[in-house]
Amino acid sequence: MIKAQQKPIAEIKALIAPYHRILILGCGTCVTISFAGGEKEVGLLASSLRIASAMEGQDKIFAEATVQRQCEWEFIDAVAEQIQQADAVLSLACGIGVQALAERYPDKVVLPGVNTTFLGMAVEHGVLVERCRACGDCILGLTGGVCPIARCAKNLLNGPCGGSQNGKCEVNPELDCAWQLIYDRLARLGQLDRLAALMPYKDWSKDYDGGPRKIVREDLRL
Amino acid sequence: MKVGSNLEKVLTSGYFAATGELGPPKSADPGVIRHKASLLKGYVDAVNITDNQTAIVRMSSISVGIMLLQLGLEPTIQMTCRDRNRLAIQSDLLGAAAHGVKNLLCLTGDHQRFGNHPTARGVYDLDSIQLIQMVKTMRDEKKFACGEEMDVEPRFFIGAAENPFADPFDYRPYRLAKKIAAGADFIQTQLIYNVPKFKEFMKRVCDLGLHEKCYILAGVGPIKSVGMARYMQTSVPGMDVPEEIVARLKGVPKDQVRKEGIKQCADIISEIREIPGVAGVHVMAIEWEEAVPEILELAGLLPRPKV
Amino acid sequence: MSNLSDRSTLPAEPLPPCQVACPAHTDVRGYIHAIARGDFEEAYRIAREPNPLPYICGKVCAHPCETECRRGDVDEPVAICALKRFATEQHDLSKGHAPGLTVAEPKEEKVAIVGSGPGGLTAAHDLARMGYKVTVFEAYPKVGGMMQYGIPLYRLPRETIDLETAPLKDLGVEFVTNQRVTDVDALLADGYKAVFLAVGSHVGRKLRIPNADLPDVWLNTEFLRRVALGEKIDLRGRHVLVLGGGNVAIDVARTALRLGAAEVSMTCLESCTTQPAHPWEIKEAVEEGVQMFHDRTFKEIVAENGKVKGVRCVKVNFRGFLPTGAPDMDEFPETEHVLPADLVIFAIGQGPDLSFLPQDGSIAQTPRRTIQVNPVTLATTKPGVFAGGDAVTGVGFIIDAIAAGHRAARSIDAYLRGLDPASVQPPEPQKLNDLQQKTISHIRHLKREEMPMLDVNQRKFTFDEVYLGYTEAQAIRAAHRCLTCGAGARVEETKCIACLTCVRVCPYEVPLLARGTANVPVDQCQACGICATECPAKAISMKLYSDEDMIKQIRDAVRKAKYNGEPAIVGFACRYCAYAGEDANVVKASLPANVQTIDVLCTGKVDALYLLKAFEFGADGVFVAGCLEGECHNDKGNVHAAKRVAYVKGLLDELALGNARLEMFHMSPDQCANMAEVVSTLITKVKELGPSPVRRS
Ligand SMILES: Cc1cc2nc3c(=O)[nH]c(=O)nc-3n(C[C@H](O)[C@H](O)[C@H](O)COP(=O)(O)OP(=O)(O)OC[C@H]3O[C@@H](n4cnc5c(N)ncnc54)[C@H](O)[C@@H]3O)c2cc1C
Ligand code: SF4
Ligand code: SF4
Ligand code: SF4
Repeated sequence: MIKAQQKPIAEIKALIAPYHRILILGCGTCVTISFAGGEKEVGLLASSLRIASAMEGQDKIFAEATVQRQCEWEFIDAVAEQIQQADAVLSLACGIGVQALAERYPDKVVLPGVNTTFLGMAVEHGVLVERCRACGDCILGLTGGVCPIARCAKNLLNGPCGGSQNGKCEVNPELDCAWQLIYDRLARLGQLDRLAALMPYKDWSKDYDGGPRKIVREDLRL
Repeated sequence: MKVGSNLEKVLTSGYFAATGELGPPKSADPGVIRHKASLLKGYVDAVNITDNQTAIVRMSSISVGIMLLQLGLEPTIQMTCRDRNRLAIQSDLLGAAAHGVKNLLCLTGDHQRFGNHPTARGVYDLDSIQLIQMVKTMRDEKKFACGEEMDVEPRFFIGAAENPFADPFDYRPYRLAKKIAAGADFIQTQLIYNVPKFKEFMKRVCDLGLHEKCYILAGVGPIKSVGMARYMQTSVPGMDVPEEIVARLKGVPKDQVRKEGIKQCADIISEIREIPGVAGVHVMAIEWEEAVPEILELAGLLPRPKV
Repeated sequence: MSNLSDRSTLPAEPLPPCQVACPAHTDVRGYIHAIARGDFEEAYRIAREPNPLPYICGKVCAHPCETECRRGDVDEPVAICALKRFATEQHDLSKGHAPGLTVAEPKEEKVAIVGSGPGGLTAAHDLARMGYKVTVFEAYPKVGGMMQYGIPLYRLPRETIDLETAPLKDLGVEFVTNQRVTDVDALLADGYKAVFLAVGSHVGRKLRIPNADLPDVWLNTEFLRRVALGEKIDLRGRHVLVLGGGNVAIDVARTALRLGAAEVSMTCLESCTTQPAHPWEIKEAVEEGVQMFHDRTFKEIVAENGKVKGVRCVKVNFRGFLPTGAPDMDEFPETEHVLPADLVIFAIGQGPDLSFLPQDGSIAQTPRRTIQVNPVTLATTKPGVFAGGDAVTGVGFIIDAIAAGHRAARSIDAYLRGLDPASVQPPEPQKLNDLQQKTISHIRHLKREEMPMLDVNQRKFTFDEVYLGYTEAQAIRAAHRCLTCGAGARVEETKCIACLTCVRVCPYEVPLLARGTANVPVDQCQACGICATECPAKAISMKLYSDEDMIKQIRDAVRKAKYNGEPAIVGFACRYCAYAGEDANVVKASLPANVQTIDVLCTGKVDALYLLKAFEFGADGVFVAGCLEGECHNDKGNVHAAKRVAYVKGLLDELALGNARLEMFHMSPDQCANMAEVVSTLITKVKELGPSPVRRS
């Protein structure tokens, strides 16, 4: 799922500085699961911002709400009234939710309260890791099910760089070297010969280099 | 003979090659280049010019290469995948070739995180193996990466780097094979201090017959101080510095350490020379270029052959 | 509308086994939890609600609840009965005997109750509250039934009975004592619209064996009644043998000891493991010197010149009673022997005296010679006449009679209002399942608190009460052993997004994922609250407290802590450990007025939000006090709390409020007593930082 992280309070304070009535709008899906923007986080942030406002002698008003999925207009509309009443909406959804709000309410100031960080999973409670870069051209079938685009700091396609040491990445010794993982997986699967094949240049046009991407399923369109 | 560079000629003639290295300045001062060039001139077969080494911005490798040509040294320009996409790399290589640069070392590049612009976007459009392949295609098929043809192709003696001590150790020789398959003519390795482990690596390389398909130059370098030895031992990724290397430097009085470092480097060269499949050494003495002649002298590699 | 009807179709919540086992279905968990929180008045209120005799039950209830208590599957059952006693001892009677219970407008109808035992008293109590005019007829001079004339004083001082029965008079119940009812029809003719027969089981039985009629062969009930009526019976120098092994037999034996008997022994059919008396009763009797002879049947009272010499017995292997009432056993040949005694007391059971029932049989009896009733409504075969308690069941327990009294009152009310009495009886509650082994393995073992007792050498010569009751510290420790069964986490399915947080954090491995949402099996949850505080979707609520309650408490605490210009400090103190069995009130009293604590059962329940809220409401400093790491009641509740504190400290820094305003104290038991000292370190830091810049406009 999409993983996100709340922005530092100072940044959020600066974002909301010009506004008086602020709706803090959480999202009940991915950002809830990544402990960044669900109902609980909305409550914590609202309380923090009330403290900040009181410390500065302001009397900002913070409303709290959480919708099931901010990336769908139908769900956002459930809190239409609260949105209308606010001077600005501080969205704790991922960037998609923030933009869905902005598109749905063209006259409303919409501010992001989280940094949408990556596509990933929890490897243990409280530890979220990146797993996919949405490159648009999946090669996991060639790499033993470990993605070198998302998990190798240099997105190398033909094996580890010279910095791989003890299975760890040179960029961050806390991270596993993706190519070590690929090597180990392929070794287990008896497919090490795969590593001999030269992997061709990646077609980055399927990634963001091709411009904003779009999927159209003609069969589904109404 | 693919390119006819001095380095290629030395190697194809069967001499034990010796290359040096020159780190460009973090400024636009050509004086530094001239000075360093004067220290190396005549003692090595070719001089590698690093490309924003450790991701720190320096004078461009290709422009320094052109200066060396003017000063009468043979450059080996280094090219990383970190800072340029396939367009930029190809265009720069066309220019370098047009100026007469003939040796090219293809690298992935140190991650930008370690350098002085850690927030920069890394490009990594290609990896080093794809870079090798691209350069070979340009040279041998007169084609750009996209498949388009060109009239006058850039001709490079293509080098690649290899770190025999990085992991997975078992995979390293195969990765080398992959680089050779992609088009590498010569290999320069990471600094070698753990000679036995390198010997083991070379054995595997020879078993695969790789030494017959390309020239392998072992990377060596003198250590200036005990502190530096320790630093390399503990803090440089992919570096294997056995304890006895440090111990030997510790065993001499402080004012003798530099001298001992030079001797140690020469001794390592002598040991390496005995290892089957090794075609030469690449002496990396960055910011200590004046040590290079002494090391090569001690190692019995001077004078350099005229080919 | 649709919502309401949906709810009515929901299955009733399963109740904790203690509550189900209690015939009156007392909310045991509720009053124990209240004691655990230190809210003793609330504990009394809950214990009193279904039981008009909580003081008495606190002392002598047979507590079938404890046998069922799930704590018993972990180590030993919760001391449920002793805790009820504690709650009554803490209750301030000036707040009323039955706080919160209402009395309806007076009604015209008169109801007669025959017998003033617990069954009769309960029915009288309920019917009086419903507004009926109630008259209780009692054959003896004092009310209380077997509690008054059976249970010995050393277990139940009579002041307790007086204390408990007095308020019934205030309710308008009329007591006619020394009045044995002999004609039920006459009562009906007298204008009583309904009658409840709660006459108990007072007639002791003898075996028809030779010499059973000698003057020195007595009956259990008679003996105890004489003692209770104040007759001075001198048993000094006598050798007493009690025949029978039940609770009544034990009471007889221990009473005989107290009357000076030189030797007291008991003999019964059962073995030492199957003897019907409660094990603790047997233990206490043996401690006092009563000798037990098991596995025997009695053949003859041996006498010489009309003087009892003993009882001739034969060894048997008793297997139980056959449906006919005869014992199922084999006699062992050549085991005949005489147990010596000069006074024999039969204590082999008793039955009701039904001689007063109409001779025409209009009130039918069972083959066991008890009153026949419809078990649901307690209606006898005569319209308007109901019966319950020991007179229907044979000797049972006080709490059974109380339950029967409630049942009868509901039926009588329905009957008088022209309704079907069966329609007003609540359904039998559903019971929680047993704890799974996996859950049990995570539950911390806690020793049951010993009930303080009179020293055995002191007690066996007097009728002074043997049990002394828990101290406050003991009661709280005892209450902390309750697993609050079934009162744990609820997942709101529409809010749950199956993030698995609860599954991952539960120290008892309770939550599961089912049909796309988390599910907390109600019978396994230990109510630690960790999942509820960690759930990012706020999909989990706890039965016994809510965020709203807590936030209200925090607001009040901050207001109170603003005292005399001193820094306002709010603390969250774990009831399990922060007071370490010290009297929490003493510890709290030692804190200055500017330090207000909010008690929680495990710091794992302290949400990061609560900490922030305290600051939002203007607290200058906040602390969380829990136990040392590794000592948590819920395994890692305190670890979670410490992490939340660290997280909120980070937020406080980001807010430039200063992280030093918030502290987690992991306290060892000796530090707990000195909480004031521990907190003073925080106060010093807060003073350095100055008053909180959070000012409410
Ligand atoms: C020795 C002994 C010890 C016990 N100890 C315990 C204990 O520790 N814990 C426990 O839970 N239970 C105990 N019990 C059982 C408990 O006392 C009874 O189960 C309970 O009292 C039954 O209540 P009841 O209302 O049905 O009848 P009772 O309490 O027996 O009351 C019946 C009342 O009706 C009166 N009565 C009878 N006939 C008439 C009439 N015709 N007219 C007017 N009045 C009449 C009787 O005088 C009596 O007062 C004990 C019983 C005995 C015998
Ligand atoms: S642990 Fe508590 S709630 Fe559970 S059965 Fe025992 S007394 Fe009742
Ligand atoms: S923590 Fe909350 S949202 Fe997540 S699975 Fe449990 S109940 Fe559902
Ligand atoms: S975490 Fe605690 S409250 Fe939640 S399910 Fe587990 S035992 Fe119950």
